[in-house]
This record gives sequence, structure tokens and C-alpha cells, in this order.
Amino acid sequence: MARIFDLSIPKEGRQRAWWIWIGILGVMLVVGLIGMIRVFVLGLQVTGLSDQVPWGLWITQDLSSIATGAGAFTFSAIVYLLRIKKYQPIARAAVFVGFLGYSSAMLALALDIGRPDRFWHPIVYWNVHSVLWEVTMCVILYSIVLVLEFLPIIFENEYFSRWPKLKTFSQKLHKASPVFAGIGLALSLLHQSSLGATYGVLSGRAIWYKPSLPVMFILSAVAGGISMTLLLTIVVGKLNNRQIITKQLQYDISRITGFTLLAYLYLKIWDWAATSYYSHSPGTTEALALLQSTTPYTQTFWWIEIILGGIVPAIILLNDRFRKNDRYTLLALGLIIVGVTVNRWNVTLSGLIAPPRWSPGVLGHVISASYLPTWNEIIVSIGIIAYALLAFSFGVKYLPIFPKGEEVSH
Amino acid sequence: MTSNTQPEGKNKKKRKPLVSRKDFLQIAGATGAATVVTQLFTSGPLSPDAIEGIGERTHSATGESKHNWCMGIDLKKCIGCQYCVWACQATNDVPDDNMRWNIGLPERTENGTDFFMTRPCLHCQEAPCVKVCPVGATWKRKDGIVTMDYKRCIGCRYCEVACPYDVRRFNWKPSTAENPYHPTWGSPEVERRTRGVVEKCTFCSHRIDRGLAQGLTPGVDREATPACVNICPVNARIFGDHNNPESPITKFVTENETFRLREDFGTEPRVHYVRPEKEEI
Repeated sequence: MARIFDLSIPKEGRQRAWWIWIGILGVMLVVGLIGMIRVFVLGLQVTGLSDQVPWGLWITQDLSSIATGAGAFTFSAIVYLLRIKKYQPIARAAVFVGFLGYSSAMLALALDIGRPDRFWHPIVYWNVHSVLWEVTMCVILYSIVLVLEFLPIIFENEYFSRWPKLKTFSQKLHKASPVFAGIGLALSLLHQSSLGATYGVLSGRAIWYKPSLPVMFILSAVAGGISMTLLLTIVVGKLNNRQIITKQLQYDISRITGFTLLAYLYLKIWDWAATSYYSHSPGTTEALALLQSTTPYTQTFWWIEIILGGIVPAIILLNDRFRKNDRYTLLALGLIIVGVTVNRWNVTLSGLIAPPRWSPGVLGHVISASYLPTWNEIIVSIGIIAYALLAFSFGVKYLPIFPKGEEVSH
Repeated sequence: MTSNTQPEGKNKKKRKPLVSRKDFLQIAGATGAATVVTQLFTSGPLSPDAIEGIGERTHSATGESKHNWCMGIDLKKCIGCQYCVWACQATNDVPDDNMRWNIGLPERTENGTDFFMTRPCLHCQEAPCVKVCPVGATWKRKDGIVTMDYKRCIGCRYCEVACPYDVRRFNWKPSTAENPYHPTWGSPEVERRTRGVVEKCTFCSHRIDRGLAQGLTPGVDREATPACVNICPVNARIFGDHNNPESPITKFVTENETFRLREDFGTEPRVHYVRPEKEEI
């Protein structure tokens, strides 16, 4: 194996490497916190957002972290509902990654709304006609489910054995796992697709208005969610010089990811063909032309979303020879995550950058909005990523997230 | 199996009854707490009705109103003086020119005729902004006016994303500036909005409500008519009750060939336009 992909660190250097890693993340987190404080004090004027492009980087981050957190419900469904027990060893990691994804999303959302002090309003004031209301309620409820699924893992720590009652409680919670998995599956199926519907139901924006968006969102979330969980599992294993899950299990999960990706690609290509190739809808054509002339939308769509984020990883994960090479597998999983993230950015920005013409005149024709995240937005995003990575690192170090696995000798 | 949750020494304890007293107390306690919390949010001090008195009930738009407020804009008449824009800013206290509720911009038709396009909120019958608001802060009154509860808005800006007419404005920063349009173009009649909420044109609903209470007719009596309609020096803007066959707006729609903006969106706007030039058929 090439040296560069041999992530294992010799025992003597581990302590030092760990503290360097934590140090880097700590600095990122502090910088992010400064950005967050600026947002709370100065308001959203510190962002590059406008009335024409009111959603940007943070919404992309919300959507991406929720999508890459989808491994939790996927594996819960496989293990507890389909009762395929062999995937059990990765289910915990999936729940943990899911929890980090959802909490990151909620952190970003809390910053993104104009009145964070009113975050609780959707719980009290219901507008059942709003997709966003449904998403908010599902995300809140699902986060609670994730916490309940995860609590037993925390209570397994030696530290908590001093309170025997906690142990009993956590055992009860653990026994209820299938119930949580069922509820979690229902909630996830609802909101993962509704996030696509958030755009898909807006009849005033031709480029978004299509029933395929919710389905594409959930398929890409399943692929992205499994990828994130598996990627982190392999990386942690390599760092600790251990085979955390069996090779066979890793190959099986890779294959599932590959097939999900194929389903996603199939739908995505048909969506493109039906809306832009075989048909002509003035709104969509107009918006795409505008996007093509002012943004790298078309290039990123074909190169990153379809080819690098879809076709290439699908080939790697479905080909026996490539799949058995960890280097290629890691590359494929990383590409999928990048592809899903770029997709969320493209979807969010496309409908906003190319707004519909409403004036009966012709001048309005050339107006396209623009958006560039400010440094403040970027450092906040970095801070949120740092939070997730820090929590993940400490979780892996101190909690029984991963099975011990076998020491790899080479 | 990866979980090793079996604690040691547990099984040595004496057998417990199926439901112990402790279990019972726990269940009873949890049920009680759940009831209290539910009550707190449904009819107690945290209920929608109690909080700032802006409950769900006050926002329901079910049932029919006697009125159906609509506006007419004659693009043939409009001279682009911007008076309507400034009067709106003064009356609704919008000091920031980037946040104009009512906009006017030079335009040209496909045939090369120059005209001025002006647009307030269109108060759509099927308003996308009302459908998408997660907290019901934007709602449609029985009389068709799409209005907002600024105390309920959380500032998520989904309404801005949903509105195809670029009508909505978000308070990106605190609005503290002096209103440059006061007193020349009017005086503020409504409270200024706080940072972090979205705002929008209300068809000057405060004037309509007050006028009706005084027995006036909006669209005819100036005190009960939107500021932009009153100020127009060429009477390009018309307002009134579309349910009333004698109202200025009903006459405007029957006497002119009118259209509404992007009817293909299915939004059913309440603002009717007359084309800037005769349509060549």
C-alpha cells in the first residue's frame, strides 16, 4: 500500500498526533465561535445574502449535513426493520454520525434565522401547509430519537457505572432500539424528501418546480449518509491500525452505496432529460440559459454532480477489483460526499440566482442575482464543521462507538 | 453483537415484580409532566393565544368577507414620477431605499415602447408566501389582504424564496435611520419593524380597517385608501372592493383590458394592470 494512504500512526507518535489534530480543530472552533458571536450581535447583515438570494452557504451546509447524516436511518432500517444483523457493527457509528450531522444542521439553522430567540415558534404555531414546518418538526423529533438511540452508548462508559440506575435506564433504552428505529425511519423518510420538496413545491420558480426533487433528495441522502459513515469508519480503522469492520462487510456496504448511487443517477439523468432535453418549458430554459451565462452551474452539474460524484464512484464501488482496494473506496466515498454537497449548493442557488421574470417589459430579462459568501459566513461554517469533527474525535476516543476490531499486521 | 451492556452483579438482586412501585411512580410522574407541558402549550401561559395575544385563531382566514380589496395600475398612464414609491416609504416607515415595498423601474416593451413598471405586493389569492411560512406569520385575511405578524416571524426567509415577484424584504440590519421621506411625502402610520423579520406591503390595511370603522369607503375616501393610490398625480393607480360593482376597481377592470403578472404561476394576484401599449393582434 502506498505510503500516503497508510494512515496508521506508530504508537509512540499517536499521542502527539492526537493533540495536534485536536489543536487544529480547537482553533477552527474558536474562530467559528467569533464568527457566530458576530452574527448574533450584528445580525445577518454580516452575510453576503440579500432579498434576492436569501439562502446561501449555511442552508447548503444544513442540507448537506442532514444528507450525510442519513446513514443513521438507513442502517437502523437495515438492521432493525429488515433484520439483516450483519450490519449491526456499523449501526452505532451511523447513529453517532447522524446525530453530529443533525446537530450541526440545527446549529447552522439557529444562526441563519433572523430571530433565533423565536426558534421555538414552529413548535407552537403550526402551519401544516408549509413544507418547512413539517421539516422543522421532523428534524426536532428525529434529533430526539437520535439522542435516545445514542444515550445507551454514552452510559456504557466506565464513568457512569457509579450510577447503577443509569445503567438500568440505558438498558431499557437499548431494548427499545427497534422502536426508535421505526419512528426514526418514518421521520427520516418524511423530512429527507421534504427538504427537496422545500424547493420542489414552489410553482413560481420553474427550475425548482418538479416532483422529482424530493425523491432525488432522499436517494442522494441515503448514498451520502452511508458514504460518510463508511468513510469515517475506514479512516478511524486505518489511524488505529485496526480492521474495525470485516472486509466482507465493508465490501457489502460499498455495493449498497453503489446501487443507491445508480438509482440516484438514473433518476437524475431522466430528470434532466425530461425537463431540459426532451421538452421545452420557457421558465426552465430561460433560467438555465441565465445560469449558464453567469455561473459555473452547468459545468458543476455535469462534472461534479454527475461524473465525479456519481458515475466514477458508482464504477469503483460496483467493480470487484476497485472495491477491494481501500484507496479507491475512500476516494469514491469522498467523491460522493462532495457530489451531494455540490448538488445541495446548486439546487439552492439555481432557483435564486435566476429569478423568474415578472415584469411585462424586456429589461427585467437580463437581471440575474448574485451571491458570494462573506468571510464571516465562511468562518462560521468552518466552526460548525470543527464542532462535528471534534465531537466525533472525542466520541471515538472515549465511547464504544466502534467495535474494537482486529489489529492489522503488515 | 457489539454492545456489552450486561452489567455485572445485577442478576444477584432479588426478583422484582412486573411493575414495581417505583416504576408506577415513574410512569405516573411522566404522564403528569406530559399533561402539564401539553396544557402549558395548548391553553396555558405558553399557548398561542396567550403569547402576545397572537393566537392561531386570530390568523384563520376561513369564511367569506364582504370585501375583496384589489388594485388597478394603468401602465399607459404612469409617468414614472416615483411619488407612489416615496409615499409608501413615508407612510409605512421604510427609510431604506433597498427595502422598498413598492417599486418603480424604467422598462421597455418588446415593441420598443418605454414605460415605467410599478409594483406593490400583488396580494395573491393563492399566495406562495402564505403557504410556505412555517409559523403562519404571513397570512391572508378574509378580505384578501396578505399581511404579516411581525411578532411571530422567525426570519427564515422561505417566503422570500417562494415569492416569484420579489415583493418581500428582510430586515438585515436594525432600521434606525431618519425617514428621509417624512414629512414631505407623508408621516409614518405604522410601527417600524425590528431586525431579523421579513416585511411587506399591506395595501395600507391599517387605513382600510380604520376607514371602515368610521364608515368610509376605501378606494373612494382618501383617509381609507392606500398611500400610493392617493398620491398618484395622474390617477394611474385605482383601489377598491372588487365585490362591489360600483367600486373604482370593478369599473377599472370592466372598462379596460387588464392582465395580471405571470398568471401562469397560478398565484391569482389581486393587482390588475393595463398594458403600456395597445396589444397588436
